[in-house]
Amino acid sequence: MPRVQEKAKILESHKEAEGTYRLVLYAPKIVPTARPGQFVMVRVASEGADPLLARPFSFHRLHKEDGLCEILLRVVGAGTRLLSQRQPGSSVDVVGPLGRGFTAPTRSDETVVFVAGGIGIAPLRALLDHLLATTHKGHPERLHLYYGARSASELIALHDLKRAGVVSVVSTDDGSAGERGTVLDAVQKRWNASSQMPNRLYACGSLPMQVNLARWVRRRDIWVEMSLESMMACGIGACLGCALPAVDPEDPQAQRYLHVCQDGPVLDPKRIRWDKVQPLIARPLISASL
Amino acid sequence: MGQSATPHSSAPDLRVSLGPLHLANPVLTASGTFGYGLEFSDFLDLSRLGGIVVKGISLKPRPGNPPPRLAETPCGMLNAIGLENVGVERFLRDKLPPLRQRGAVIIVNILGNTVEEYAELASVLSGVSGIAALEINISCPNVKRGGMAFGTDPHMAAQVVAAVRARTSLPLITKLSPNVTSIAEIARAAHDAGSDILSCINTVSAMAVDPFSRRPKLANIVGGLSGPAIKPIALRCVYETVRAVSCPVIGIGGIQTAMDALEFLVVGASAVQVGTANLVHPRASLHILEGIEKFCRHQGIGAITDYIGTLDTACRFPFADESCSVEPPAREPV
Ligand SMILES: Cc1cc2nc3c(=O)[nH]c(=O)nc-3n(C[C@H](O)[C@H](O)[C@H](O)COP(=O)(O)OP(=O)(O)OC[C@H]3O[C@@H](n4cnc5c(N)ncnc54)[C@H](O)[C@@H]3O)c2cc1C
Ligand SMILES: Cc1cc2nc3c(=O)[nH]c(=O)nc-3n(C[C@H](O)[C@H](O)[C@H](O)COP(=O)(O)O)c2cc1C
Ligand code: FES
Repeated sequence: MPRVQEKAKILESHKEAEGTYRLVLYAPKIVPTARPGQFVMVRVASEGADPLLARPFSFHRLHKEDGLCEILLRVVGAGTRLLSQRQPGSSVDVVGPLGRGFTAPTRSDETVVFVAGGIGIAPLRALLDHLLATTHKGHPERLHLYYGARSASELIALHDLKRAGVVSVVSTDDGSAGERGTVLDAVQKRWNASSQMPNRLYACGSLPMQVNLARWVRRRDIWVEMSLESMMACGIGACLGCALPAVDPEDPQAQRYLHVCQDGPVLDPKRIRWDKVQPLIARPLISASL
Repeated sequence: MGQSATPHSSAPDLRVSLGPLHLANPVLTASGTFGYGLEFSDFLDLSRLGGIVVKGISLKPRPGNPPPRLAETPCGMLNAIGLENVGVERFLRDKLPPLRQRGAVIIVNILGNTVEEYAELASVLSGVSGIAALEINISCPNVKRGGMAFGTDPHMAAQVVAAVRARTSLPLITKLSPNVTSIAEIARAAHDAGSDILSCINTVSAMAVDPFSRRPKLANIVGGLSGPAIKPIALRCVYETVRAVSCPVIGIGGIQTAMDALEFLVVGASAVQVGTANLVHPRASLHILEGIEKFCRHQGIGAITDYIGTLDTACRFPFADESCSVEPPAREPV
């Protein structure tokens, strides 16, 4: 599948929740071959060298017929702030589609659980859309979305998924919307007690969420894929910067790495040595005003 | 390659000869920033470039350093990849054949923990068809053994180069580190030991810290700085190196545009390597090549060799005929 570089036009930019924006991009060379779970590298600076590197973003929604994709971005630093301020009509340099996407279920009778923490909803939405249009057309009740955020103001409205019949459970850490607690609390509440496990689980979220979820699924017979993150420079397998510590089945003590941009970002959590994963530095937003 | 084969009479002649290494143009890609070349074949025709320097290869595969391995810094990036590579065996089996098929001029960057490892790599790679030259990496800041330890000591540098020289007749490039007191001294040592060409610079030893978490941004704590932030350092290193040795020099460091590349050529680099820019724009090296061609046309430069090393350091005062004290004037003051 060819990867391309193109100037993508920003058609729309919307604030969807506190600190979260949705951009609609016209990228007719990239979108036709893109799949849910894949991502693009977006050059944020239009010219000049600051910020120098492009930033990775998952496909949030794909509208293949129109050559459009949507990305959802959470402002965490200079790059995402600049991108959130870009006006419709301007263009960004985009490389994609990159990485491995999700492995979609093949049967409509599979019960599929989605676990999204915060901005982790970004890649899962594309897969939900895809299943609603293919295997699970007519069976939306077998799609269960668990979506959590810190607080109500950070939640993105997903009324259309509910209307489509997807079973949705919302949670917030402070209880300002849905159930109080983490998204994992919500998942465990339903499925710890259930005699039946979902067939598949797809997840994307913060590192603590991923670590705990990886622990939870290890003891259960569920097929799992997670969209994972790492710092990236190129996104195309050239710099070898995006390593994550990986399990070597033959030698558990061996030093092995996976490369998120090529082997992932969608990976089976059993392949990761979670005890060796260092969290990416999360800077509070006040850093910009100091 | 015949002298008369230029399709358009106005097309500038971009061929350069670096001692025994003859290239169709002076734009190469820098090791570690262009993967094994194949990663870029969706984006550009690899045979158009002057050459491709592949990721540093060691005898045995290396897993590299723990993550985080990358951090962004103002106009640059820090990396501590730790020379992760597939090892020479898999390189020859899996990477080289498809690369050769694409018509690329291939230069292999080599590294070892000991002098003998460098020498052994050279002899393994010597017998292989399709390798145009070897680049000896004695300047990587991200590994404990070998790497920069060899590149900061003129005697060690000379030992590595001599050992490699003894095992191959391929053109040899020695890649120098900026993390030294006198790059000229290392340059002379490498040249005297048999290096046909020198390339400079490798990354600049550097660091980034997060004040909130109080943690270094790289798991390795320190790493190598690359990108536009290091271009002035690289230019100075090239300037000092071309004056210290009589062999050709390849300029590397922060080259993002054709104008950047031209700065290195005018200072005296016979070719350039494009590094971090490839990571930002996968077609960067080709853009730079096209830009140099356009510049030559516009400036009426028939052959790029007429432009290389034409830095004019003479001082000029438009209304005085007295020279300043910086340099003896090369020609009559204008
Ligand atoms: C495959 C992949 C897909 C992604 N998809 C999305 C998406 O759909 N929506 C979205 O909002 N974000 C996504 N991200 C994260 C996004 O790329 C980062 O938030 C962004 O690069 C930060 O850039 P910045 O300039 O704003 O922050 P910087 O100023 O560069 O950094 C600010 C802080 O964010 C942290 N950070 C930097 N890069 C990353 C990263 N790659 N992942 C996590 N934290 C990082 C840094 O440690 C730093 O402390 C994805 C990341 C990957 C690897
Ligand atoms: C991610 C990365 C990996 C690198 N790996 C190597 C390597 O394996 N061998 C080597 O000699 N130089 C390596 N380098 C150094 C580059 O080849 C180059 O010398 C340096 O980045 C400066 O050029 P630039 O500013 O254009 O990037 C690496 C640089 C980067 C950014
Ligand atoms: S980001 Fe460069 S190899 Fe993955």
